[in-house]
Amino acid sequence: MSYAYLFKYIIIGDTGVGKSCLLLQFTDKRFQPVHDLTIGVEFGARMITIDGKQIKLQIWDTAGQEAFRSITRSYYRGAAGALLVYDITRRETFNHLTTWLEDARQHSNSNMVIMLIGNKSDLDSRREVKKEEGEAFAREHGLVFMETSARTAANVEEAFINTAKEIYEKIQEGVFDINNEANGIKIGQQATPTNPALPGAGGAGGAVNSGCC
Amino acid sequence: MEFLKSGIKTVLGSTEPGQQPSAAETVEKLVDRVYSSTLLEDRRDACRALKALSRKYRIEVGAQGMPPLVQVLQNDGQDAEIISYALDTLCNIVTSEEFDEEADNPAVSVNVGEQFTEMFIKNPEHVTLVMGYLDEYDFRVRRGAIQLITSLIANKTRELQELVLVSPMGVSKLMDLLTDSREVIRNDVLLLLIELTKGNSNIQKIVAFENAFDRLFDIVREEGCSDGGIVVEDCLILLLNLLKNNSSNQQFFKEGSYIQRLAPMFLLNSSNGSSDADESNWTPQKVSNFHCMLQVVRALVTPSNQQQVVSACQRVMQKSQLLQALCDILMSSGVPADILTETINTVAEVVRGDRENQDELSRVQAPSQPPRPAIVVLLMSMINEKQLLALRCAVLYCFECYLYRNSDGQRAVVQTLLPSSATDVSSLSTGQLLCTGLFSTDTLANWFAAVALMHTLVENVAQKEELLRVLLATPGGQRPITLLEQCTSLMQQERYRLQSKVGLLMLLSVWLAHCPGAVKALLETQGTMAYLTAQLCANEHDEREYLVQGMCAFLMGLCIQFNDNSLANQRREDISQLIIKRIGQETFCNKLSEVSRHEAYSRACKQAQIRAKGASELLLDYEYCKLYKGLEALIAKLVSGFDVDGIELTELTLSSEASALVAQYKGIIRGMDAQIQTLEQSSKQLEQQNAELKEQLSQEQTIRAQLTDQNTLLKAQLAAQPTAAAAATPTTTPTPIATATAEQQTTETANDEQLNAARYQANMYFAENIRLTKELETLRQQLAAEKQRADAAQESLLATQKDQDDLLELLADQEAKLARYESPTNEANDTNGR
Repeated sequence: MSYAYLFKYIIIGDTGVGKSCLLLQFTDKRFQPVHDLTIGVEFGARMITIDGKQIKLQIWDTAGQEAFRSITRSYYRGAAGALLVYDITRRETFNHLTTWLEDARQHSNSNMVIMLIGNKSDLDSRREVKKEEGEAFAREHGLVFMETSARTAANVEEAFINTAKEIYEKIQEGVFDINNEANGIKIGQQATPTNPALPGAGGAGGAVNSGCC
Repeated sequence: MEFLKSGIKTVLGSTEPGQQPSAAETVEKLVDRVYSSTLLEDRRDACRALKALSRKYRIEVGAQGMPPLVQVLQNDGQDAEIISYALDTLCNIVTSEEFDEEADNPAVSVNVGEQFTEMFIKNPEHVTLVMGYLDEYDFRVRRGAIQLITSLIANKTRELQELVLVSPMGVSKLMDLLTDSREVIRNDVLLLLIELTKGNSNIQKIVAFENAFDRLFDIVREEGCSDGGIVVEDCLILLLNLLKNNSSNQQFFKEGSYIQRLAPMFLLNSSNGSSDADESNWTPQKVSNFHCMLQVVRALVTPSNQQQVVSACQRVMQKSQLLQALCDILMSSGVPADILTETINTVAEVVRGDRENQDELSRVQAPSQPPRPAIVVLLMSMINEKQLLALRCAVLYCFECYLYRNSDGQRAVVQTLLPSSATDVSSLSTGQLLCTGLFSTDTLANWFAAVALMHTLVENVAQKEELLRVLLATPGGQRPITLLEQCTSLMQQERYRLQSKVGLLMLLSVWLAHCPGAVKALLETQGTMAYLTAQLCANEHDEREYLVQGMCAFLMGLCIQFNDNSLANQRREDISQLIIKRIGQETFCNKLSEVSRHEAYSRACKQAQIRAKGASELLLDYEYCKLYKGLEALIAKLVSGFDVDGIELTELTLSSEASALVAQYKGIIRGMDAQIQTLEQSSKQLEQQNAELKEQLSQEQTIRAQLTDQNTLLKAQLAAQPTAAAAATPTTTPTPIATATAEQQTTETANDEQLNAARYQANMYFAENIRLTKELETLRQQLAAEKQRADAAQESLLATQKDQDDLLELLADQEAKLARYESPTNEANDTNGR
């Protein structure tokens, strides 16, 4: 149960792109073809391992509908990572990405890691958005990109873990102020005694650490 | 007061002596000043005066003062003092609290604050404006804004919640205030959040997301946990708001390992010496805090939550030793009764349906002499007349939860009643206690014991059968009677009061349901059916009597429904006839529905927990209601489905769902019938065919045998013919040899005798020769005949060959003719085609 770090995630994107299914696949390893509309926000959690460290992910799955937008906004500030999801079989969900991104950037802390996810990659025959377009959008806005399928579980694990890796690296670089829990990061009992965020602890301390691990 | 008066004077200027201005006039002047004064000081003084007046003359200030005060909030943001006056004045106007100053003012109605709230929030920007002042660090401003918002939410919760949700980062901003280093601010925000989170799961989730659990646990710890003051209670109330009926937050709470932070708070530090005199430690505040802590635990595992969340939390509560801490509280002395009661209720829900937790509870030993299981000690207080009602209810609930989906636990209790179990007599067993309760003179003890016993049977047919074996010794030393007999006879006794009867009827109903053995045993008891019939025929006009009648009807119904017809004169039809002739079908169904019409029914259906304000409210149990709900319609249909002649109209006795099912099965059976018929037919046909084929086969076999016989015969004949021919030729050749030898012999013998002998011999040879020639002749003839026959055969062959040739010729001829005919036909066809 103990962990080195705890990261808070949010999942955002248009309604029906498969946000809840991604979460369910990640936390329960199952797919539910018929899923009710998410009302407000739902919570899920899982433990992962990065660099030999236990990391707890707490994930808030938000409602995509416009009516819940003001509620969703309340979650940006306290999250360390966000999965911005679109549906590769519906062009309009891709077109709305800019609005989502603006909203997220405006209300979140500047260090929040955003991962762009093109979901439903199993439905290649109905594809409306090319993989290259997703890649281009991600490059342009400085996001990490991945195509996933909540149905086949392809890349789902990777999407969540890669986001965590990115956050973890930022912590190692000292970008995040991990003592401020409002950033969506919490240090657990397991964390290394050296605080990477403290100035000067990076070089020598890090080397010693990597040596013994 | 003097100061206030002089203050007003300085603001309004001195008035003419003897003419006191009315409150409304004063307020009007002040409002005018706030509006029109160019000097900040003047506006500030006017605001201060309005604030002073707002408590006594709330209506006047509220009616006129709102627009100027809002204007101040809009324009004078840079001056903390005037803002704080404006905020305080507004707060006084909208608060639902009644001030001492206005107590004698008849114009102030109860909901005046609510009306002013409505006026104020009509323009949503007003709320945003006030929310904006939360960012102001100045103590008076921030606190004023917090208090004003709190009052607004208290009056118009729904509307304010919506407004806060819509305002950008509204909830987050409020959460930030929890970290304010000034305790007063932090405590006021707690009160605000308590109001804000009431019944709004979206806000609850955002508050939780903003690390509320961490913050609250930190504050609780800083304030000394359960020993802390009212702030701890506020924190716990907020925690409770966040968790109640909010599965997302419950899951977050569990996943965030907050149960582990909750668990140590339940450890009573009895180590510090005087554990027995603990009672003084339980200050009223500590009791309140503890009560809230228990509520928080229950909010996570209450039966109405999602099953998945409940089980997950129950597991963690065991692992984090929270259950153990709760059990320790149960068994420690000096705990106030209401805390003890609530702890029992909490333990109940922590173990409900979770085998490991149930086992842990069963292993808890009370520190008594001799040590007894905690469950026994609890049951002792349940049947103890002197205990508090709430505590007794809690124990029953705990016992029920212990047995819920716990067949081993149910069996263990029933086992203690069976004669075979050789428990030592000195120790009290659960079964003994329940029987003591059942036969006690305390009506409530009867009821509690009956319901407790009932729960050992719920959904467990095996224990229903086992309990039938329980025998009770009779005081007169006569033959022992069964527990079931005892129950039925108790039920018929006049001194056994109504509440006790209700308990017994519930026990019997659950016992009989789905258990034909128990039905049989009940029908065999003396006078039970007569008693039930009499109850149903009685014409009492008491609401509680009605309930008993309904329950009796239900019991009778169960006797029909689960009757295996093994008793003559007590079969399904017989009981139905009894109902039809003595009670009447409609009356029966009417009485049956009395149960669900009784208020106790809807009360008991609501939750598994037993709640009663007074002892008389204890009537029906949750599990009994569940059983009743499931079977009522069935029994009503069953009874009204019998006609006067006792013929069961099966279609009617079933619920629509069941009859649909029956119809479905009937269809299936019909289809299968048809299938069977066609299959039978085809099998018959096949058998016939088989017989024919066998016959044919035997015929063929005989034919074949004949043919083989013929074949061998013909073969033999064919073999015989050439031998006959061969036999004919060699017989001809020896003749010349014989003649030659005869001539040789004549030349060799010269004398007569010799000649005579020779002649004689010659004659003999001659005769022999003649005979042989004759034979040769016949053989020649035979050969000729054979040759003739062969010739004839060849001739006939030739003839047939000739015939064939003729026929071929004819055929060729015919073909030629056909060809000849065809060509004109083709031509004709062609011409026709054209």
